[in-house]
Amino acid sequence: MRVANMLPDIQYQMQQSQQALATATEQVSTGLRVNQLSDDPAASANMVRSLAYSANVDQYTSNVSSLLPQLQTADSAISSIVTSLNSAVTLGTSGASSAILTGNKQAIASQVQSVLSSVIAQANASYQGVYVFGGSDSTTPPFVPASTTYTSSQGSPASPLATTTALTAGSVTTISDATTGETMTYKAVAGDTIATLQTAIASAVSAGTLSAGTSATINANGQLSIGTNSAAAGIAVSSNDAVLGTMTAAAGTEVTNAYAYVGNSDVNTVQVGDSMNVATNLPGNQLLTSGPNVIGALTNLITSLQTGSTAQIGTATTAVFSGLTYVGQQRVPLDNTISQLNSQDSYLGQEKVTLTTQQTALVGINLADAATNLSQAQLDNSAVLAAAAKVLPQTLLDYLK
Amino acid sequence: MSLSTSLSIAVQSLNAASGSLQATNNNIANANTPGYTREVPILEETAPVNEGTFSAGSGVELKGYQSIRDELLQTQIQQETQAQSGANAQLASLQQIQPTFTTSTQDIGTEMSALFSSLSSLSTNPGSSTSRQAVLTAGQNLATAFNTASNTLTSQQTGLNTQVSQDVSQINQLTQQIAALNPQIAELTGSGQDGGTLQDQQDQLVLQLSALTSVSVTKGDDGVTLATGNGTPLVVGSQSFTLQTTTGSDGMTHVLDQNGTDITKSLSSGDLGGTIQTRDTTIPGLLSQLDTLANQFGTAMNAAQAMGYDQNGSAGQNLFTIPATAAGSAASIKMATSDPTLIAASSDGTAGSNGNLANLSAVQTTALPAGQSPGNAYASLVYQVGSLTSNANAESTATTASLAQLNNQLSSASGVSIDEESANLITYQQAYEAAARVVTTIQSMFAVTMSMGTAAAE
Repeated sequence: MRVANMLPDIQYQMQQSQQALATATEQVSTGLRVNQLSDDPAASANMVRSLAYSANVDQYTSNVSSLLPQLQTADSAISSIVTSLNSAVTLGTSGASSAILTGNKQAIASQVQSVLSSVIAQANASYQGVYVFGGSDSTTPPFVPASTTYTSSQGSPASPLATTTALTAGSVTTISDATTGETMTYKAVAGDTIATLQTAIASAVSAGTLSAGTSATINANGQLSIGTNSAAAGIAVSSNDAVLGTMTAAAGTEVTNAYAYVGNSDVNTVQVGDSMNVATNLPGNQLLTSGPNVIGALTNLITSLQTGSTAQIGTATTAVFSGLTYVGQQRVPLDNTISQLNSQDSYLGQEKVTLTTQQTALVGINLADAATNLSQAQLDNSAVLAAAAKVLPQTLLDYLK
Repeated sequence: MSLSTSLSIAVQSLNAASGSLQATNNNIANANTPGYTREVPILEETAPVNEGTFSAGSGVELKGYQSIRDELLQTQIQQETQAQSGANAQLASLQQIQPTFTTSTQDIGTEMSALFSSLSSLSTNPGSSTSRQAVLTAGQNLATAFNTASNTLTSQQTGLNTQVSQDVSQINQLTQQIAALNPQIAELTGSGQDGGTLQDQQDQLVLQLSALTSVSVTKGDDGVTLATGNGTPLVVGSQSFTLQTTTGSDGMTHVLDQNGTDITKSLSSGDLGGTIQTRDTTIPGLLSQLDTLANQFGTAMNAAQAMGYDQNGSAGQNLFTIPATAAGSAASIKMATSDPTLIAASSDGTAGSNGNLANLSAVQTTALPAGQSPGNAYASLVYQVGSLTSNANAESTATTASLAQLNNQLSSASGVSIDEESANLITYQQAYEAAARVVTTIQSMFAVTMSMGTAAAE
């Protein structure tokens, strides 16, 4: 083949070797084999998926970190409650002794009152503003002192509420009963009136959700009054119906040693793995009232110690003991969750390492390989340049001088 | 044979040698001229002279010059140039689009992950206004990422309109120049001469035209005839046909032939063909997928919102504002609210419930109507952009290598070798010197002959 001019060929080869050198340099400086999508489209697409999963793993890890202290706070609180209830059982047992004097029973009753206060304090435990036993309603203390009467802020002698007064559709009114440990939730629908609410309360009483005697009436000031007919039965009432306004405990109606649960029964779950969700909270009513009414049992024990017979004290103590057993059982799933979270934290840490390794394999380059590639590219480029320098200036004219 | 005849042969020889030297000189002068085809002198023996019973050679004659061409190779180079320019045009555009879809801190994939992370984080404390605001911020960042990607594609598409106009303008200039050369070349070839330099110029112009669009080349008595791939004439004889551009109802620059017929879709290869391919097929395809993803993602998030309740206990309202149809969704998607309380985290209307966040988070792994989850749909888009760019790059590299090989072959036939010309230079120089020596010798012989008479008289 006749070769007229070697320059275009050499220029092409120089271009090729310089391109290879540039690629090798980029790989060494970035540590990446894939620096743009076109370097390896499939790896780039897989990297997008991998990074999305990696972000999920990071968030799962963050969720675990957020949940653990919250659940540990709950666990610690339950532990304290168990300790308190043990103490109450011990006190009740000693109070049930026929040999004990009445004065001493009063002293024991005072001690049990302290225990109750301690239990309530633990039941209202919070972590960074979140009340851990409030259900999903975790921004306010879930256990509040109960009163016999609540009145609405709306209504006055001049403009009284009436049983025919329409309620706001969608509004929610709740009545938490300290004695039954249960809550009646009433959601108004279109056409409902205060009379409808009265009927609902009556039905809740019949069903045992609310204590006997609980009712709603229009008082002399034209306000809605929800209350019990027993000085010992306490409730807590709330409503978001603008027609009723804020429900407030009537002055002087607070029931001693009675606490109502005003949280809710919701259990939130949080995803801490692709197929792993954990409960983030244990509602206070599930822990202390809707099973054996632990709060009520302590209240009964106090009352029994103050005024009751030995048998009544014994019965009340047995009820507290049942509550103690039940609370202890409630702690088990919580502890399991904490254990799961700790395991998941370790797993996620390993998963992150695995993902990083996979991502390096997808788009990264082994440093030794990169260095070798660079060395080879340098060598090739030098060879092309050396050949060009040697061949290009050489012509027949050099020999015709 | 007389001395005069010998002298005549020597003079012819001098002319042939100097004429050949001129060809060599021209070859050396144009050794680096693009498109130049080396010339060789055509030397022929002159008719023999019959003298009595024998005939004698009567010397050499320079009949002309012949350019060494290979039309098949030239045609292949034109075709390969069209393919290379088309691939380069697509590659240039895709290389500008590619960074938008490359993983960064602000690409769609990263922002989508950030949104789902923020929702997951909110699930640990659904009442947190900070976490709720983080969801809104992540949603806005994702919407902005969609907007940016769409704008990049649209800007690229609009920018290519300018390229179409420039290419058409260059095509018109080139066809005019090619048509102007046709009569001159036809005159030369009609008289049996080689097209020479004019043919070189025309071939070079056709090659430049090939870099702009696909052309079919036909050579006839009246010169070269050029037409586009679909047969639209560009050059016939001395006449060139001007292409025009106009803005179509789609806002794009369209190409019209001399009759005003829209030939945009029929233009392929070359820079113009590659540009139109990218503008009218590649980018709209990517935009369509991006719009579909934005629309279906926004719709899915809004549907999940509607399943829950906001912090005020009201049914969830739309999280994203999107058009009713997919078209334009990526460009216009935006957050429907700036109120953190309106995120429908609750499944039962209570402010602290996080039950509906599971529905919102599930959008990440649930297949959209297009058949893939949002993340996988985006990954597919990334693959497509990478694959298109990679293919264009591979085609560009392959055609460049092929073109280099073809040019080597053409250079082998038509290129100037300085070494070869240097050798020719010496050859013709020696031929000239020898012929000159013959003239000198004959001159001496004439002198001797003339002195014969003079000496006798003396």
